[in-house]
Amino acid sequence: MFRLTPVRSGALGLLAALGLYAAFSAEYFGLEILTEIAILSMLVIALDMVAGFGGMVSLCHGALLGIGAYAYAGLTTMTGADPFLALLGAVVLTGIAGFLVGAVCAGSQGIYFIMVTLAFGQMAYAFFFESAAFGGDDGIAGVPRLDLSGLGVDLGDSRSFVLFCMILLALVTLFAAHILRSGLGRTLVGLKTNEQRMRALGVRSWRAKAYTFGISGMIAGLAGVLAAQHTMYISPGLLNWTVSGEALVVVILGGLGTLVGPLVGATAFVLIKHEVSALTPYWHLVTGVILIAVVMSGANGIFGFFEAQLERLRNRSKPAVEGKLKQGSVHDA
Amino acid sequence: MLEVKGLDKHFGAIHVTRNVSMKLERGERRVILGPNGAGKTTFFNQIVGEVAPDKGQIWLDGEEVTQLAVPDRALKGLSRSYQKNTLFDILTVGENLGIAASIHTHAARSPLRDPLRDRAVREIVAEVAHQVHLEPYLDAPVTDVSYGVRRQLEVGVALATRPKVILMDEPTSGIGPEMAHSFHRMLNELPRDLTLLIIEHDMDLAFDVADSITVLNYGEVVFDGTPEAARGSDLLKEIYLGSWEDA
Repeated sequence: MFRLTPVRSGALGLLAALGLYAAFSAEYFGLEILTEIAILSMLVIALDMVAGFGGMVSLCHGALLGIGAYAYAGLTTMTGADPFLALLGAVVLTGIAGFLVGAVCAGSQGIYFIMVTLAFGQMAYAFFFESAAFGGDDGIAGVPRLDLSGLGVDLGDSRSFVLFCMILLALVTLFAAHILRSGLGRTLVGLKTNEQRMRALGVRSWRAKAYTFGISGMIAGLAGVLAAQHTMYISPGLLNWTVSGEALVVVILGGLGTLVGPLVGATAFVLIKHEVSALTPYWHLVTGVILIAVVMSGANGIFGFFEAQLERLRNRSKPAVEGKLKQGSVHDA
Repeated sequence: MLEVKGLDKHFGAIHVTRNVSMKLERGERRVILGPNGAGKTTFFNQIVGEVAPDKGQIWLDGEEVTQLAVPDRALKGLSRSYQKNTLFDILTVGENLGIAASIHTHAARSPLRDPLRDRAVREIVAEVAHQVHLEPYLDAPVTDVSYGVRRQLEVGVALATRPKVILMDEPTSGIGPEMAHSFHRMLNELPRDLTLLIIEHDMDLAFDVADSITVLNYGEVVFDGTPEAARGSDLLKEIYLGSWEDA
């Protein structure tokens, strides 16, 4: 379950302010980086829902992103569908794909769950890689962006597009927070904490897992649609397991099960990638060292570390009630 | 209310339950006694569906549930608590009760509404908190309350699904005698139409709470009768080496 603590509210507000400042002040290259951060954040929020809150570590979220991208590109370039309807269609289709993956994988745990999701992801990758209808390994070019000229917005402009992505990211973050505080979200956290007890209370665990995977798939699909619109070109590489692995690195780097962590992790990851890769082609090594340091520190990612420090400071000012609670019993009541 | 017919279970060469049968009427409080390894917990696990019996049938409120999965039996009114606490440690006491109550009201399925704001859920939480004396602790994280309160919550979570029958596996396990006595009183204050099947090592609880007592030994029912009859049973004295004579 997602708790909107003052620390998290503050962090979200700060990230939003920094994002808006960057969106209005950055030049072309900066806007491209910002767009990349927004899209990656969306994908990682989708992953955080299932992995961080549900304990279902997925290696197929890259494939779900790719399915969203291909569905949007296919509908717009092959059938001539309206881009807005294509966006909705792609999100729904990816949601269905996510639901099916979740329903099948729900019975497995741990390493087996990861392997089954990996198998699903690689099957999707192989399908699009081999499919002549979807352009095979050449992919699909000429993917259009949404036409918002009726609102006086030109999404062909980088600044408008990044603001569009950031608005959608904000909506996705609110949507995910709402889902995670709903009955479904609380059930999901219950299953992660103690599946045996949840089943004994009457929860059919596969259903909660499948629905959550479906919702997560919809968000990943939306990220895919934006990725397709961003580059206006897609290829099977979007579905490769390395994309899923990268998303997993980002959510661990930022902080699992916080919803804020994905935003922090995506920002850190993309900035490291671009800044360090300008200095050395071995930027992955630097990312690896940072990831190892974060994991070995015992903190829940970068955001988790700062959150724990700030919560400790906040709790210092609270009156101590622990002793009283520790003595409580039915005898006292 | 709950009827078990000829439950039989082997784990390899070990015969864990041997043709165990019993029938509980609505509102009956039955205590299952037996030494360690007698098959008591395995018997519970078969009733709730966590272990499949080799043979036998389980009936709940006139309906056979032997083939149903664990959640389906729970939704039909069969609830349980565990010997070791199986709580949601990252949540508060009230949220633990709320999760269980929301499963009963189906609010737990909603992807839109927060079940803890649901009026029906809040009413159940308030009522159960009163029944198991948890009102002062509702906002406290589970990790901040005493072990005894967690044992109360373990029972409270089982109660919050509004069950017809609760199976309690050693509810006073790990708590001191003074508090165990209060715990017995709390169990006796639960609604009388609620059927309780309790595994217990504590003889005091057996005699304080039980309408009837069943004793398992090596997976077999060796005694079935009233607490008074149990006190006079030479067989039980032999099994327990007279450990309750002073009770």
